Amino acid sequence: MLVLTRKSGDGIRIGDSIVVTVLEIRGKQVKLGITAPADLSVHREEIYRMIREQNEMASLSDGMDVTGVKEAWRTLNEAEGIKT
Amino acid sequence: MKIPTARFGEIDVDPSRIIDMPGGIPGFEHLRRYVLLTHRENHPFLWLQAVDDGRIAFVVVNPFLFQVSYEPEIPDDVVRKLSIGKEEDVVVLVIVTIRKDPFRLTANLRAPIVVNGNNRRGMQVILEDHEYPIQFSLLKTPVLEAEAGSARKEMAISTALGGV
Repeated sequence: MLVLTRKSGDGIRIGDSIVVTVLEIRGKQVKLGITAPADLSVHREEIYRMIREQNEMASLSDGMDVTGVKEAWRTLNEAEGIKT
Repeated sequence: MKIPTARFGEIDVDPSRIIDMPGGIPGFEHLRRYVLLTHRENHPFLWLQAVDDGRIAFVVVNPFLFQVSYEPEIPDDVVRKLSIGKEEDVVVLVIVTIRKDPFRLTANLRAPIVVNGNNRRGMQVILEDHEYPIQFSLLKTPVLEAEAGSARKEMAISTALGGV
């Protein structure tokens, strides 16, 4: 991993088109500004990871289970007196 | 064009119905082309099937069918990336996770699939709003309309996006 020390207001350029700027440093938090081309998405690492894991889990859903869900739905809603 | 799929066998896809996801979706960035399939008649769930890998498909549902306060705010950069011209063109779907235990049915409200029905371009948008859970339990959420009505609405979405 490349490690660079930067001050508030300093930036880092990645390739031709990505710039990360340190906007503010306060205690244990740092505020970053990111400029990147429109076809690149930028996310907080931990959120991105959670979404990716959920997508991976979701991709394992299978057709038989989908049919089972409808039954479960009906059972549950009937039990709770919810009209489906 | 014919594509082999793990769940539906070989399906015939009209190339003009393909939904283009230029950035892929997290975990599946290499897959950029999808088609929307109906699960079966009178069922609110749809399948988002990857065109270039028959094994990969996601169950998706229209979140507005459920009695849940859900108003995802589409960020400006998404509006630009998808070239969204008017609100009516926007189709929002959420990915559903179905586990072996059907009672543990969840929908990802934090990261909806947003599609511009006009140019068939879409992406999974990670919302900044922390209020929306990644694992929202769907089973305890009443369906808003009678099932037949829901199914009709799904058919309309499916038709708008050129579902098969």
